[in-house]
Amino acid sequence: MEELTVVGKPVTRVDVQEKVTGAAVYGYDLVLPDMVYGKVLFSSKAHARIKRIDTEKAKTYPGVVAVVTGKDAPWIHGEAIRDKPFLAQGKVRYVGEPVAAVAAVDEDTAQAAVRLIEVEYEDLPAYLSPEDACKPGAIPIHEDFASYRKMNFILPGAMPNVCEHFKLRTGDVEQGFRESDIVLEERYFVPTIQHAAMEPHSAHAQVDPATGKVTIWVANDAPFRALHEISEALGLPQEKIRFINPLQGGGFGSKGGLKVEPIAVALAYHTNGRPVRVKFNREETFISTLTRNEAALYIKSGVKKDGTIRAREMTIYWGGGAYAEKSPTVCIRGSLPGPGPYRISHVKVDGYAVYTNKPVAGSFRGYGIPKVAWACEQHTDELARRVGMDPLEFRMKNVFVDGDVSYWGEQLHSVGLKETLTKAAAAIEWGKKSSRVQEFKGLRVGKGLACIQKPTRSPTTSKAGVIVDAKGEVAVLAGTVEIGQGCSTILSQVAAEELKIPIEKIHMAELDTDAIPFDASTTSSRSTYHMGNAVRRAAIDAREKLAEMASPMLEGEKNDLAFADGKVFLKDHPGMALPLGEVIRRKLGADGTVRGDASYTYELAKELDLETGHSDNASAFYMYATQAAEVAVDEETGRVRVLRMSAAHDVGKAINPLNCAAQIEGGLAMGIGSALHEHMVVDDQGKVRNPSFLDYHLVTALDLPEMIPIVVECPEPEGPYGAKGLGEPGLAPTPAAIGNAVADAIGIRIYDLPLSPERVYRAIQENKKKVA
Amino acid sequence: MKKTIHVTLNGRPTNLEVPAHRLLLDLLRDEIGLTGTKEGCGTGDCGACTVLLDGKPVNSCLIFSGELDGADIVTIEGLKIGPELHPVQKAFIQDGGAQCGYCTPGMLMMAKSLLDENPDPSDEEIRFALSGNLCRCTGYAKIVQAVQDAAAELRAKRAG
Repeated sequence: MEELTVVGKPVTRVDVQEKVTGAAVYGYDLVLPDMVYGKVLFSSKAHARIKRIDTEKAKTYPGVVAVVTGKDAPWIHGEAIRDKPFLAQGKVRYVGEPVAAVAAVDEDTAQAAVRLIEVEYEDLPAYLSPEDACKPGAIPIHEDFASYRKMNFILPGAMPNVCEHFKLRTGDVEQGFRESDIVLEERYFVPTIQHAAMEPHSAHAQVDPATGKVTIWVANDAPFRALHEISEALGLPQEKIRFINPLQGGGFGSKGGLKVEPIAVALAYHTNGRPVRVKFNREETFISTLTRNEAALYIKSGVKKDGTIRAREMTIYWGGGAYAEKSPTVCIRGSLPGPGPYRISHVKVDGYAVYTNKPVAGSFRGYGIPKVAWACEQHTDELARRVGMDPLEFRMKNVFVDGDVSYWGEQLHSVGLKETLTKAAAAIEWGKKSSRVQEFKGLRVGKGLACIQKPTRSPTTSKAGVIVDAKGEVAVLAGTVEIGQGCSTILSQVAAEELKIPIEKIHMAELDTDAIPFDASTTSSRSTYHMGNAVRRAAIDAREKLAEMASPMLEGEKNDLAFADGKVFLKDHPGMALPLGEVIRRKLGADGTVRGDASYTYELAKELDLETGHSDNASAFYMYATQAAEVAVDEETGRVRVLRMSAAHDVGKAINPLNCAAQIEGGLAMGIGSALHEHMVVDDQGKVRNPSFLDYHLVTALDLPEMIPIVVECPEPEGPYGAKGLGEPGLAPTPAAIGNAVADAIGIRIYDLPLSPERVYRAIQENKKKVA
Repeated sequence: MKKTIHVTLNGRPTNLEVPAHRLLLDLLRDEIGLTGTKEGCGTGDCGACTVLLDGKPVNSCLIFSGELDGADIVTIEGLKIGPELHPVQKAFIQDGGAQCGYCTPGMLMMAKSLLDENPDPSDEEIRFALSGNLCRCTGYAKIVQAVQDAAAELRAKRAG
């Protein structure tokens, strides 16, 4: 194989210059000529009928341009299940649901007018936990659920409010339990948390009165999918809708689908063509955009004395909040590998995505895996303890290796899991007594680890264009959204590699759905693999065309040409090199361009069987990771302190090692926060009690331990240069690794997140009582 | 109530007529068009809107414009030294200190302020100084490294 010149190198980010100077324009910064300002009236009730809305006073308030309610915007949207109105229709289903919106000459005026809108509600029983909402006799949160349009993979449940029932059936778990020496059954719980991207949510929209074309400016992580969703909701052809993506200040799953967009569009239909800006402040972002699914997880396993896991049964209730959003697919793709990356003959999983009267939940970095790992990986440690094995040894005995057929029926390849286990463990001196016992005298010190396997959504498509001009500059047209993960750098590296052009000459085109080829989404850690393949092929296409053109100029066969440093030459005469721009200029003139195009789809993927959950090709690739933690627990206060944490991630091939380390560190920080303190608290009236950064504790620079990112490269043959994905797994095993370390330190298993001082303290006190 | 204030903004004397209750953050972003200063929370909890006011870091979302007569304000747009990036900007580029970049302007202003006061900070001092500036992407490790590298460059410059 040819030596790589830029792929695999720690190239600095191509988008960072504008970010450090303040020149970068994010969605929240966008100013449009003659725009008006929108503000929203949010529901104050968790579940209620709307008896009356009076907007008269708001309409006549000076400076108001438009007031809209559900009546003025009679549209419903939703990807997997079309269930969500642009503005509440007849009833509200959570505190924070948009009920009405005002557009005015400035934001203060709009907010003042919002206060003049009167709404009369009639309360309905509210369900604030998924297990309550699906009990027999619960009233439906969506009365018309049966008639909603749903994707073909949706399997609604027999129980109330279950919008998706995922089933996995392999072998016979009852037989497996009978064959086991030890059977263990436990319940784990993961509470709601929020993405809390530093940029709050916003959207700008304009409806052209002459053509009816709807333009939306929003930092959406999947503009083509959002376009499709708006198109279906409005009944407008796709060419009448355009998404323009300014920069995104972080999303982590919260900025896909439609959040503020429907409100901006609803208003834009009533402003005579003036663009509308709707910005959510931080509190509004907390209560009315998206949260991570809470989950109650029941897990039961049977294990032989020699440490073989024979059977595993899981029942998972995923709290979906008031609307389905992506909960059905979180349920499917989170429940599928829920039993963990282990060889188990008898497996049964039931995953239920359940509507509740809480803020909408859905996609969040990790897409279900952090929740199942919290349960599965601590449970696995408990099994190891009961058979008297070291948790690492127990995993090494049971984890998937190359050639294994997973419990969903897929033969696995490129499984780098064992290497991640050994490396993550070694990095914190696994098996040795903590060297910091003296330093943390009086505290209990322990170590723990956890591992995961994560699929990516499949099949999906990415298309790309690569344009080389007569100056030798290159534009890459790719629909992957720069959400901070570094895709613009990765894709620039790929284009530079294939064209052998210095990376400074590669430019990522602005993302505009009218000009950029289709991409499925910037989600699911899919971009390096899918868009990387598309850009690579588009660049090769352009290079082939350039070779075609250069061949007569250099008087040689195409196959005898080589590319390097922005030039093409005959392999035998590297001294006679032509710059690529010169080739284009000679053939096509000074304004000539050469364009390469490509599309990449992972064609082999097959849908999961609805009854068994089986597929012999469920995912384009799988990501594997192990993280290991060393903690000190203060038994007097219950405070858990993470001392150091290693994270070994199988990325296939690190296209940019610096960026890989950055992704892993960022994931770890988020994972540590979710382990120790993050919790979006909803009270018994359905109201979020901590919708601010004062009360919702994100990790600060002071809260983090030594982090040891480790890149493992077990190449994926189909991936570009062997690459898989990396974005999501960084936080997935983190809480479980910390939970296992806490159990190692104090000898007590804690089943619910977060591991707050209060929870840990109480667990210690209860254990003391029990022992006494 | 409108008020006329005279300020020095990024080194330039400027007269502004502003509603007295307008927050400095909104004044910068909406009236002057300097959107490099970011809004993350509007309640002084995240540090994204950090600017230097008379040389000290402040959350611009908590300052009324009416209080600013005579003030010297430096925003991210004024951090460069002439045409050159400030060492802390260069270090953020080199070390991977920015990902989505939304917290970066506030983080840089806070880092500059720290290095003005303490040219040779320990990691712990850097972490303490930046603890009011939230970042959801990086895990802070590369930010701390960048501030250390910038400190070293600034010290070398002073010595050389």
